[in-house]
Amino acid sequence: MTDDLIATAGEYVAGLMSPEEQETFERLIASDPVARSAVADWRSRLLALDETAPRLTPSAGLWPAIETAIGAARPGQAKPGWFARLWQDVSALRLATLAGAAAALVMAVLLVTQPFGGAGKPTVVAVLNAPNTSEAGAIVEAFADGRIRVVPLRAIPVPEGRVLQVWTLWDRQVGPRSVGLMERAEARDYATSGMPRPVDQQLYEITLEPAGGSPTGRPTGPILYVGRGATPL
Amino acid sequence: MVAVGADLKDALARCAGGDKAALRMIYESECAAMIGVAARIVKRRELAEEVVQEAFVKIWRNAHRYDPGLGPAKAWIYAIVRNQAINTLRSGRREDLVDEVPEDAGSVVEAYAAAERLPDGQALRRCLEGLEARRRTSLLMAYVDGFSHGEIAGRLGLPLGTVKAWIRRSLLALRECMG
Repeated sequence: MTDDLIATAGEYVAGLMSPEEQETFERLIASDPVARSAVADWRSRLLALDETAPRLTPSAGLWPAIETAIGAARPGQAKPGWFARLWQDVSALRLATLAGAAAALVMAVLLVTQPFGGAGKPTVVAVLNAPNTSEAGAIVEAFADGRIRVVPLRAIPVPEGRVLQVWTLWDRQVGPRSVGLMERAEARDYATSGMPRPVDQQLYEITLEPAGGSPTGRPTGPILYVGRGATPL
Repeated sequence: MVAVGADLKDALARCAGGDKAALRMIYESECAAMIGVAARIVKRRELAEEVVQEAFVKIWRNAHRYDPGLGPAKAWIYAIVRNQAINTLRSGRREDLVDEVPEDAGSVVEAYAAAERLPDGQALRRCLEGLEARRRTSLLMAYVDGFSHGEIAGRLGLPLGTVKAWIRRSLLALRECMG
């Protein structure tokens, strides 16, 4: 084992690589048993450091959340349910939030051009982005009185027999709740009740559902746009 | 309840076969420590739980990929936790810029306490102690706190290239010392 490989494997295990370096190195690991054992060697050597971490008691909801996330899927199945992916894949959602940076400009313009006249100030504003791109697709404004305004930012094609459905999630234990349906992409106000006051980081999304809305009361179709809310200054 | 290595190895094999009770066993044994490891990196308790939740999903889905020939099950499990914590924190970005040092930087660096908690007489502890203090700190800040090269350079007031070179050399020195 060369010094270069030892040092590089150590950097990999210490989490010091850029995503590109990491990807390249992981390709090497996949094909090269020497690199694989260099990584395993560091993991074993440095494990004692992980063992110095304080033990922090998990909150009561953690195990149920894990069980929900793994669902009925057997391990090794490459394709987790899209539902689990959406609500459990924190990194994807963070990416969506990141993508909001680009959309912030759009939002700023919107806020300027559509001042909240007599409607009052929204408690939470969210920019929804396409899950895999930074394309902003809609803005959500949620008000303290339960009203939620959804403003599409681009044409969203709705095939025959389908409908757009808006969802929100404020508590994983409760699960996603429907805000309402949208037959075609246009700004709409929804009156909701029975939902707590919107909070920072509350999740909003638009999915494509069968006409009449999701038959299960939970999102069943593809996620078109998703984002987390923030409290406007 | 803390499982011994053989139990964890066995539990991973059972997870690969679809036995949820085995995942629960790993949870009972390791979850609290996993949250501790994640919290040192993400610095927020609530976020640490999200990291651990995702880590358990990955353990469940990838248990069949664990190769006992490549080290202890526990090392495999904690590698997943640390990867997930770093990815969560950086949303997939590592920027090699020298970052601004936050006001409370001193209070959030866990590297020092971790080194002190290593058992006396352990090779890792002895060999870390053999490194020059700032080099040791650089390496520990990466592993324990999940800091990037840039963050470490910012905190220690060192050029990025110096930190990169120090860490590589420290890794080689550590490896040689541990034998």
